[in-house]
Amino acid sequence: MSDDSLAWLGTAPIPAAPYHDPAWFDLEREAVFRRSWLQLGHVCELPDSGSFIRREIEALNVSLLIVRGRDGEIRAFHNVCTHRGTQLVEEESGRCGTFSCPYHRWSFGTDGALLAAPDFDRFFVDKADCALPRVALDICGGLIFVHLGTPDKGLRDDLGPYATMLDGFPAAQATTFSEYVYEIDANWKLTYDNFQENYHLRFIHPRSGAPAVGEDNPFGYPVKMGFHGPHRTQTIWTNPDPAPKPVQAQSFGRAARFAMADGTAGPHSRDYLALFPNFFILGSPAQPFSHTVWPIDARRSRGVIRLYWKGKDDCASRRYAREYAMASARDIHAEDRDVIEAGQRGLNSGALKHIHFQAQEALCRHLFNAVDERVQAYRAERASATPPPVSRAEAMA
Amino acid sequence: MTTLLPTGFEALAPFADRWAIDGSIARAARRGDADPADRAAFFAAAAPLLDAALTHLDRSPIDALPPAEQRLMDMMLTLAHVSLTEEILGDQEPAHARQRHHMRITRSPAGA
Repeated sequence: MSDDSLAWLGTAPIPAAPYHDPAWFDLEREAVFRRSWLQLGHVCELPDSGSFIRREIEALNVSLLIVRGRDGEIRAFHNVCTHRGTQLVEEESGRCGTFSCPYHRWSFGTDGALLAAPDFDRFFVDKADCALPRVALDICGGLIFVHLGTPDKGLRDDLGPYATMLDGFPAAQATTFSEYVYEIDANWKLTYDNFQENYHLRFIHPRSGAPAVGEDNPFGYPVKMGFHGPHRTQTIWTNPDPAPKPVQAQSFGRAARFAMADGTAGPHSRDYLALFPNFFILGSPAQPFSHTVWPIDARRSRGVIRLYWKGKDDCASRRYAREYAMASARDIHAEDRDVIEAGQRGLNSGALKHIHFQAQEALCRHLFNAVDERVQAYRAERASATPPPVSRAEAMA
Repeated sequence: MTTLLPTGFEALAPFADRWAIDGSIARAARRGDADPADRAAFFAAAAPLLDAALTHLDRSPIDALPPAEQRLMDMMLTLAHVSLTEEILGDQEPAHARQRHHMRITRSPAGA
C-alpha cells in the first residue's frame, strides 16, 4: 500500500495527552463509549431461553444483564432493580426464568417486565412503568453489540461493508470459545494500537512471530488496509516460505483440516477487522481470535481475548488443536504487555507533547482521528448547550 | 505400569505423573514452573509420539476415554504448551514465563 494513498489521514504528530490525561479520558467516556456500538458477547453464550450473561463496563459504571427471552430474542438491560437501584444479578452467567432482586424481591421476566413485587399495591406506580431499563442490542456475525446511548444508525449500517465480512468470519458459526484475559497499566488506545501495527513484530516477537515476517517483508507489513467510517481493516501478509517447527506444523495442520471440514475456512482467512472503538477480530480459521480492549481509567485497561470454535471437541485431535491454538496465541499476546506498559510510563511522565505514527501505523492514526473527531464534537456540543435552571418538577421528571 | 498408558506409549510412563495434567490453566502453569531439563526431556520423549498418540486417541469417544487413554490425552495437551517453549522460545523462556503469567486463562473447551 503506497504511503501517498494514506495521506488523507494526515501526517502531523499526534498529541500525547489523549494517551494519559484523565480529563481527556472523561470526555472519551461520553463521546466514544456511550455513543458507539460495543462488542461484548457471543450468541453461543445464550443457547437457551433464560440463558443470561452479566457484563461490566467499568468506564461507564454500567452493569448489563443480557438475556435470551422465552421468545428466543436476546435483549440487554441495565442490571438494576427499578425499585431502588439494587443490582439484580451477581452471577457472571447462568440460566433462570425470572430475576429476583435480593433486596425486596421484586421479580422480572426474561423480557425485562416487572412480574411481581411484594405488597405492590402500596406503591404509587404501575407495574408497566417498572420494567428493567432496556439497552439497544444488535447482533452481527454471531457477535453481540450494545449501544448505551441512542444509536443514530443500526449496527449493520454502522459497520457498512464490514458487516458482511463479519458474517463470513469463523466466529459467526461459533458454538464455543477459549478465553484469556489480562490487566494492563496502559491507556486503552495505546494498548489497542499495539495490535494494529506490525512495525514492532520483528523486535517484540522475534521467535513467536517469525512466520509473519520474511526477507521480502521484514516488518510483516500488511498487504492492504481499508477504512469505513471509524472502522478499519487490513489483510495480513503471507510468508511464501514459512519454516514451521515439527509440532507447530502438525498442530496448525490439524486446525486447518478441521476448519476446512467445518466450513469455517472462508475467504477472509488473512483479514482482520478493527471495529471502533475497541474491538478486533481475525478471520484466521486455525486461530480465529477476537480481542477487546476495555478502558478502566485513563491509564488502565483490560484485554479480553477469545478464540471461537464451531462444535464441541468431538475427538482428541480437535481438542489438541484448540489447546495448541490458544497456547500459541496467548504466547504472542503475552509478549506485548510489558512494552505497552513501558510506553505508558513514558507518556505519564509528561515528557512528550506529541507522538509519531509512520505510514504503516496508519490504523493507529485512524483510531486517533476517529476518537478526536468525536471528542471535539462532544466538547462543542457541551459548550453550546446552555443549561436552563432546573426546577424541582423537572428534576423529578 | 502396564495400564498406565496405552500399548505403544510405554516410553512416556516415566513422565506421566508430572505431565498428565487436567485443565488448561494447570497445564500452562506447569510449563512455566517446570525444571528446564525435565521439560526438555518430556518434550524429547513426547513430541515424536504426538501424531501416533492422537491417531490412537481419535478411535475412542473423547468424553469417555479409558484411564490410560485419558492420561495420554492429558500428556499431549500439556505437550501443546511445552512445545512452544522447546520449539519456539528457547532461551527466551524465563522472561516469557513472567509475561505469560499476566494472561489468565478463563475458559477452554477442554476445561479451563
